[in-house]
Amino acid sequence: MSTQAAFVADGLGKRYGAKWALRDCSLEIPRGSVAALVGPNGAGKTTLLHLAIGLSKPTTGDVQVLGRSPRDEAATVLPRVGFVAQDHPLYRALTVGETLRVGRKLNPSWTDDLAFQRLERLGIPLGQKVGTLSGGQQAQVALTLALAKQPELLLLDEPVASLDPLARREFLESVMEVVAERELTVVLSSHIVADLERVCDFLVILSQAQTQLVGPIEEVVSSHRLLTGPRTDPATVARIHRVIRESHTERQTTLLVQANGHVYDSCWELHEVDLEEIVLAYLGHRGERVAA
Amino acid sequence: MTWVALRLQRTETLITAAILALIAALLIPTGISMADAYSHDGLSACLALNPSAPCMNAIGDFQSRFQSLFNLTAWFTLIPGIVGVMLAAPFVVELESGTYRLAWTQSVTRRRWIATKLGVPIVTGLVLSGALILLFTWWRAPFVHLNGRMDATTFDSEGIVVIGYTLFAFGLALALGVVFRRAVIASTLAFIGYFVSRIFVDVWLSQRLVTPDHAAWKSNQPQPANLFHANLISQTGPGLVKGAVPGSAPFGANVHANVHVSGAVARAGQHLSNFTTHVVYQPPSHFWPLQLTETGLFAGIALVLIAFAAWWTHERVA
Amino acid sequence: MIEFHLDARSGVPTYLQLVQQVRQAIRLGILFPGDQLPTVKDVVGSLAINPNTVLKAYRELDLEGLVEGRRGIGTFVSGQAPPPPPDGLKELRSSLVRWVGRARAAGLDDENMAALYFDTVRPPTISKVA
Repeated sequence: MSTQAAFVADGLGKRYGAKWALRDCSLEIPRGSVAALVGPNGAGKTTLLHLAIGLSKPTTGDVQVLGRSPRDEAATVLPRVGFVAQDHPLYRALTVGETLRVGRKLNPSWTDDLAFQRLERLGIPLGQKVGTLSGGQQAQVALTLALAKQPELLLLDEPVASLDPLARREFLESVMEVVAERELTVVLSSHIVADLERVCDFLVILSQAQTQLVGPIEEVVSSHRLLTGPRTDPATVARIHRVIRESHTERQTTLLVQANGHVYDSCWELHEVDLEEIVLAYLGHRGERVAA
Repeated sequence: MTWVALRLQRTETLITAAILALIAALLIPTGISMADAYSHDGLSACLALNPSAPCMNAIGDFQSRFQSLFNLTAWFTLIPGIVGVMLAAPFVVELESGTYRLAWTQSVTRRRWIATKLGVPIVTGLVLSGALILLFTWWRAPFVHLNGRMDATTFDSEGIVVIGYTLFAFGLALALGVVFRRAVIASTLAFIGYFVSRIFVDVWLSQRLVTPDHAAWKSNQPQPANLFHANLISQTGPGLVKGAVPGSAPFGANVHANVHVSGAVARAGQHLSNFTTHVVYQPPSHFWPLQLTETGLFAGIALVLIAFAAWWTHERVA
Repeated sequence: MIEFHLDARSGVPTYLQLVQQVRQAIRLGILFPGDQLPTVKDVVGSLAINPNTVLKAYRELDLEGLVEGRRGIGTFVSGQAPPPPPDGLKELRSSLVRWVGRARAAGLDDENMAALYFDTVRPPTISKVA
């Protein structure tokens, strides 16, 4: 069964007690994308991923991965979706080899060769206890477990957060290699934006339990502009375009807008904005220039 | 999935096996010498309410050799608690350490995972309980011939109550662990709960699970026949009840075969023909009713706790 | 075999950097006609970039006639001679020399001239009305 989108959320919400961890989340991530799920800690990224893999049940709304409900159709969904939870949980007392055996026993679509080859290339010894591996190696073992069942969708919760820069880079290279080899949709969450622009082509910004922005990165970058000009009330611009962030000095106004068509007003100078700046603006970060 | 559950339980299985091996190492040699002594001294001929003098000597010898060992085995009532609590640990640790997020995102459904992760330790516990019962029953046979099996120490490890208690300890540790997600705290509290429950049963409950019998007789009358090897709960009147064992003593107390009657008291009793002795007791015929009721009660509680833990894990953990 | 590198801060899109590096390599004789370009998998495996970026770069090079993709085998530097310089290159060069002279006379230094150039050249997706 083939659907256009690998990941669809519709009015999705999750509440724990009185607190909403995620609400009104609606998005569609196309197949083949490498999607970045960006937001500060507590924004709802883990909640969203747990709902997608069936670890949690929605309070409101609906989520479908590869066209199926992850909770109700777990037996069909789980073999096709790979997941690495935050801090890549593993059985520390088991050796690497035994961990792979766990994978083999628990996944009908498991491919031994793939797993062994991967670990051999990475130089991770099979006889070593998982608890004694470095953080980067453990992350790679967890990733191997998720990849060896040959999933169509890969969900990674903060996969590189606790890794040193080299391990982080090697991990992302690993994931990109698999994406290059076959059709794999990837959704990876992170609170660090810097890595994501070169790896991802789709963006979901989450903040305070709600989606702030969803779309292909190319479109996002090309539709946002920084406007600088003499100090003004942004109201005229705001009538046509969406002002994400504004800041003023005595003489100058700076606006970050999501442009709705052309910006005609001649008093503004337009600049391109990089992805990190756009994301920070949506997360409510105040501009470098402070209001005077 | 079964391999996975077994592998993750490896330490606990080994400890269980080690406990069993240790107990076997203690009981088998001593059991053989006890059985030898029993048959060698011809004690089977002495099983009567009024033993002859040579019999009394033989019994006395036997007791002085083995009674302290017998009393030691009272401590083995702790074993079902230790093993039950320990076998619940791997399940709780999965929730505590977060590895359930790995286990439930392979291709096995949560339901199947829970069923196997509970089934494997339960079977392990049952195997251990069964082995212990067999071992103890064989070992204690000479004593049972002499004193019956209604005394607390014997009763607690014969029949099937061990099974019920192992399950109970398991269920308690599991339920606490699943709710609090802390294996150490859950194990400790569960073991304390088990301990308290056993004392409660010993001191209060076992007398009431099956209605005890009452009897009364004058001092010039013979005592009722089914008092032989019965468990004496209470007694009024001066007569010495022969062949019965004292009622539910607090955990770990000494149990003496009440066969030996001092000559002086026996002579004195002959003059007190007007005195009536009343007793409340559990006769040997109540052995299986008591076993089944006690096991049923604690296994029933265990099943409720296990079902709760399974439900909680299935619905409430994310 | 060429090895790619990335300058994340240059402001030049990743795919374009790859294109430029291939062009440069051909010009400098590091790549000869018939040489194979690194596979997409190899590139992303050493640079941690999205495979689509590499595909885009290789497509662009293919359109320019510098490389050709052979299905199932890889991407190879094409056997054609490098395309001849566009017509009127000489004329463009001399008018540029004149413009530089005028700019200098107007007081622009090298940096100002470069800024003006990049401002004009950067492809606008939203038109800027000066």
